[in-house]
This record gives sequence, C-alpha cells and structure tokens, in this order.
Amino acid sequence: MLRQTTRSLVSGAIGLASLAITLAVPAAAADKLTYFTWSGYELPAFNKSFLAAHPDSVDISVFSDDDEAFTKVKAGFHPDLAHPCYDKIARWNKEGLLQPIDTKRIKNFDTIFPVFKDLPDIQAGDGKVWMVPWDWGNTSILYRSDLVKDPAPSWNLLWDKQYAGRIATIDAVHDTPVVAAIMAGVNPFDMSAADVDKVAAKLREQRPLLRAYTTDMTSVEQSLASGELVAAMTWNASATTLKKQGVKVEFMKPKEGMLTWACGFVMLKDAKNVDLAYDFINSRLEGDSGKELITQYGYGSASSAAFALVSKDELTRLQLPSDPNVVLKSTVFTGPMKQNDDLAKMFEKVKAGG
Amino acid sequence: MSVSAESEFTRRAASARHQTLFQVGMTAPGALATLILVLFALGIVLFLSFRTNDGSLLGGGFSFANFAGALSDPLYATVILRSLAIAGLVTLATVVTAYPVAYYLAFHAGKHRGLLLFVVTLPFWTSYLLRVFAWKVVLAYNGVLNSALLTTGITSEPILAFLNTPAAVVVTLAHAYAAFAILPIYVALENVPRSLIEAAEDLGARPFSIFRRIILPISMPGVLGAALVVFVPTVGDYVTPALVGGPNSTMIGSMIQAQFGKANDWPFGAALSVIVMLVILGVVLGARVADKHFGSRT
Repeated sequence: MLRQTTRSLVSGAIGLASLAITLAVPAAAADKLTYFTWSGYELPAFNKSFLAAHPDSVDISVFSDDDEAFTKVKAGFHPDLAHPCYDKIARWNKEGLLQPIDTKRIKNFDTIFPVFKDLPDIQAGDGKVWMVPWDWGNTSILYRSDLVKDPAPSWNLLWDKQYAGRIATIDAVHDTPVVAAIMAGVNPFDMSAADVDKVAAKLREQRPLLRAYTTDMTSVEQSLASGELVAAMTWNASATTLKKQGVKVEFMKPKEGMLTWACGFVMLKDAKNVDLAYDFINSRLEGDSGKELITQYGYGSASSAAFALVSKDELTRLQLPSDPNVVLKSTVFTGPMKQNDDLAKMFEKVKAGG
Repeated sequence: MSVSAESEFTRRAASARHQTLFQVGMTAPGALATLILVLFALGIVLFLSFRTNDGSLLGGGFSFANFAGALSDPLYATVILRSLAIAGLVTLATVVTAYPVAYYLAFHAGKHRGLLLFVVTLPFWTSYLLRVFAWKVVLAYNGVLNSALLTTGITSEPILAFLNTPAAVVVTLAHAYAAFAILPIYVALENVPRSLIEAAEDLGARPFSIFRRIILPISMPGVLGAALVVFVPTVGDYVTPALVGGPNSTMIGSMIQAQFGKANDWPFGAALSVIVMLVILGVVLGARVADKHFGSRT
C-alpha cells in the first residue's frame, strides 16, 4: 500500500515535470523573431517586405524608455533584436549584451547618412557595427500657439511660472535632465558632482510648475488638445499627430537648440534567429519603410533612400530637412552620458520631491 | 500478545503512516509554492538589500550603505509617510463605503442577494487598468465631471484640480479595491447570529444599540480583515499614481520601481522594499494592539 502510494506520487511528479517540459519547449524553440522596441515603433507598415516573406514570424515587446529596456534585458529578457538609442549603446556594450552586426549583410547600409554611420560608439571594426541606425528625430517644446502667444524661442518656457500647472515634461534621463543641464550651463554629457547638483537645482525649480513627468505621449497629446496643458516637452511625432488633428500647436525651435537623437537596431549576444534578424533589418531599411516613418510620425529616417521618396512640400510641412546635417548644425545631439546612472538616481529623487 | 492483535497493530500503523503520507502529499504543493515563490523571493530581496550596487545582477560585497542612505535622507521618510497617508485614506474611504453595501447585502437583499453580489463584483471582471482609465475619463480637464460642472453653470472654467492630484489617486484606488472590502465584511455580517439580534429586540433594544453593541462588534474582524486587504497593497501601488497622480503623488512603490528600472540600482530598491515591509508590519501590529485595547468588542 505504502509502496503503491510512493509509486503513484513519483509517477505524478514525473507527469508534472514532463508537462512542464512540454509547456516550456515550444516557447524556447519558437522560430519567431523577437523584437524589443519603443512603443509606436511596432507598426507592420515599417517592415512590409519582412512580413510578406515570413508571415506571422515576429514577436514584439515594447518599452517606453530605453533605460527601462536596459534593465529588463540585463535581468534576463533576451530578444533577438532591440531598438535603443545611440546614447545607450556604449552602456549596453559594456554590459556585454550585444553582438556585432555585419554590414555586408545589410543591403541598404550605404544609403545611411554618414553622420549616423560614422558615430564612434557603433563601430565594431572589420566592417561590423554594434547598431544599425534607423531613425532620428528631435525633442523640443510643443505648445498651443493660441494659448501661449508668441513665446520667446527658449527652453525657458518649461520654467515659466505664468504657466504653472499647465506644463509637462518627458520622464527620461536623456531628455529632461539634458535640457536642465543646458539651462544650468553645464555639459550634459560629462559633469562633475557639483554640476549634477546644479542640474538638480534647476530640476527642483521646475517641479512645482509641472502637471506631470511622463513618457505616455498619448496622454500628453490629449491634454494639449483639451487645453489642460499649454506646453510640453515632446518628440516630433506628437507635433505631427496634433497638427493632423487640426490642433493649433507649434514645435518650438529653442535658441539653446532642440535635442536631436538617433536610434537603431542592435542584435543581442545570444540572439537565436540571426538570419531572421538580418531580414528584418533589411526590410526596415527599405525606402518605403523609412517613408512611412517620415510621413506617419514626422521622424527622420537614417536612410537617404527614404527621403528620396518624400516630396519637398511634405518635408517642409513636417519641419524636416532632407539632410540631418542641416538639423545638427543648430541642435544638441544626444550622445552617451557619462553620468547616466547618477543622473537617473538624482532625477528620481527630484521627481519625488527631494 | 495474540497474532491477530499484532496484525491489527501493524495494520493500524500502516494506515497511520499512509495518512501522514497523504497529508504530506496534500500540503507539499502549497509548501513548495510558499517556499519558492514567497520565502525564497523574500530571501533574495533581503540578501540584495545588503549588497552594494556594482551594476551586476546580485551586486557585490556586503554593506549597510543602502539602509544608511535610505534612512538618512528625509525624502524617503516623506514619501513613505505620504504613501501611508494615501493608503490610510483609501482604506478609510473603502471600508466606510463598503460597510453599508455589505450590510444591505447581508440583511436586506433577500432573494436578490445572489444577483446583487454578482453586480457588485461585475466591475472587477474588467482590467484594473481599464478602471483607472475610466477614472481618467471622469476626472480629466475635458472629462465627465468638468463637463457636468460647466453645463450646469457651477463653474465657468474647467477645474484643473481633479486629475493628477493625490485626491485622484485616493478616489481611483478606493474604487479599485471596493470589492475586496465588501466581500469580507459581507461574510462577517452573514455570520452574525440572528438569534442575538432577536434577543436584543425582545429585551427592547433600539436598532442603533443593536448595531452598536451586537452587529458592529461581531463584524469587526471582517472590517479589520477588509482594511488589511486594502491597506497593504495600496501602500505599494505605483501604477495608479503614475496614471492619475501628478508630481505630488509619488508613492514609495514608484520609487522602488524606479530603482529596479531607470535608476538601475537594485540593491537600493531592495533596501527600500525591506524598510517599507517593516513599516507596514509595524502599522499592522499597531492596529491589532489598538483594536485589542480600544476596539468595539468590549
């Protein structure tokens, strides 16, 4: 009797274990590409030819901030491809998360603007890169031109007490603290402990005026449309979206310079679907894909092939020059921030009221 | 000892052993789940809280720096107190509004009780996020509440103070946790012996003193249980403040989450979690002692 019970217990345990294995195996062996990207960057229109060649073979997870994405990947989430921005590449690399991408396998690599192709942190030597640039854009103030009459073109609008409670800013280290550093007169990308304190002071000055720190751009757009917010730090896409809806907004050109950023694809070290990943990158670098990015969101494509497909009028309407070099003359390029972690901790404290 | 007695003895021993084995088998899944999912996880948090942050997953070297840092900076005390205050208000609002509902369900719902219970739990079939966004729709600048105030002429300008405030967090959380308060109180009220109420009525007690001296004391464990179930998770909530709260409603959960996310300092986040757990433990023990000494069961 006893033996029988033991046996049935053992066989039950084996049954459970094998069930667990059969459940786990399909998940591990799935031959789908896993792609981890900014929310909004998952549109099928961006990789039509990939989906035509490999129907239903991409699994997408999204993030709203690439610092969050970094900790998630570090903690054991292993997608094949991820989509951080350039300022984070050195950090991902230092952690040993990436594998080099062979530019010989990227068909349209030559159409990528040299200004992005030649970025120092993406060079992996021997015709290889750590990141294939795909998109670039600007961060600036989007304001209601009917509620804020002719503001001085300056980031100072986000510190203007006149609009207390009607302002929002982006909850990401590479946006709000960078602007605070510029306003405090320190170098955002390399600062001493005293400089960090100056930035903190500038951020503390701003906090009581803010309605929200957020990366939820849909909420920001709705609040600008309703008039709850009169000005907010946003990316080009929000300007494009609201203008399409007929809301009276302007995307400011601050005299201190907009922020310009560039992002792209990185391949994770233990990527399982390398061939699919190359197909995916190739599909995204086609002119059509970049054209969708430009016309839908107003972001720049890293490929000149995409700009060739968009009319001059459309580009003027989107306030987008066809050559990123033109923009970069008057903007601040978001490069790697040496004190990223210190700034992140400080920013969290200031946000909470410290 | 006769042979038959001996075999009877071994048979009983075998059956007793069999029973023990059965009990072990029955409790094993629960014990394993508790050990692995709760105690092991808590152990890791505790371990991590004494590590220094060197960027690696489990940190490097032991130190008390995380606790020293968290305790010496008044910011964390402020945020923890704010979280306790918000969670306290939520608990109060939830329990006070849930009690009448549970009371009605237990004593007056009659044959519709099943249907009413179903209706009470119906909103909780939808996602928590959906309920938070519903409150956003109500409280927004161009939302339901402001539109109503404008059309009735009570205000001439939409009021900004509804959304992105601590009050919005309290209202949203109180609604989100309502069912968790209604059900335990309802069960406690269900178990109030009707004979006691009848006896009190026979002795000429007025409805209020029946409530005050019989129903409330007997249902008090349910009320305290409900308060606990609402209070503990709301202290650590970070989704609701992120969605409907402004900069002044940052709760400790948001700060802990940030340490594990953007700020990339897991050991410090773990230390904050340990401190919050201890604070909640203190509050709960305090509430128990207070209930024993000043509770209504006297």
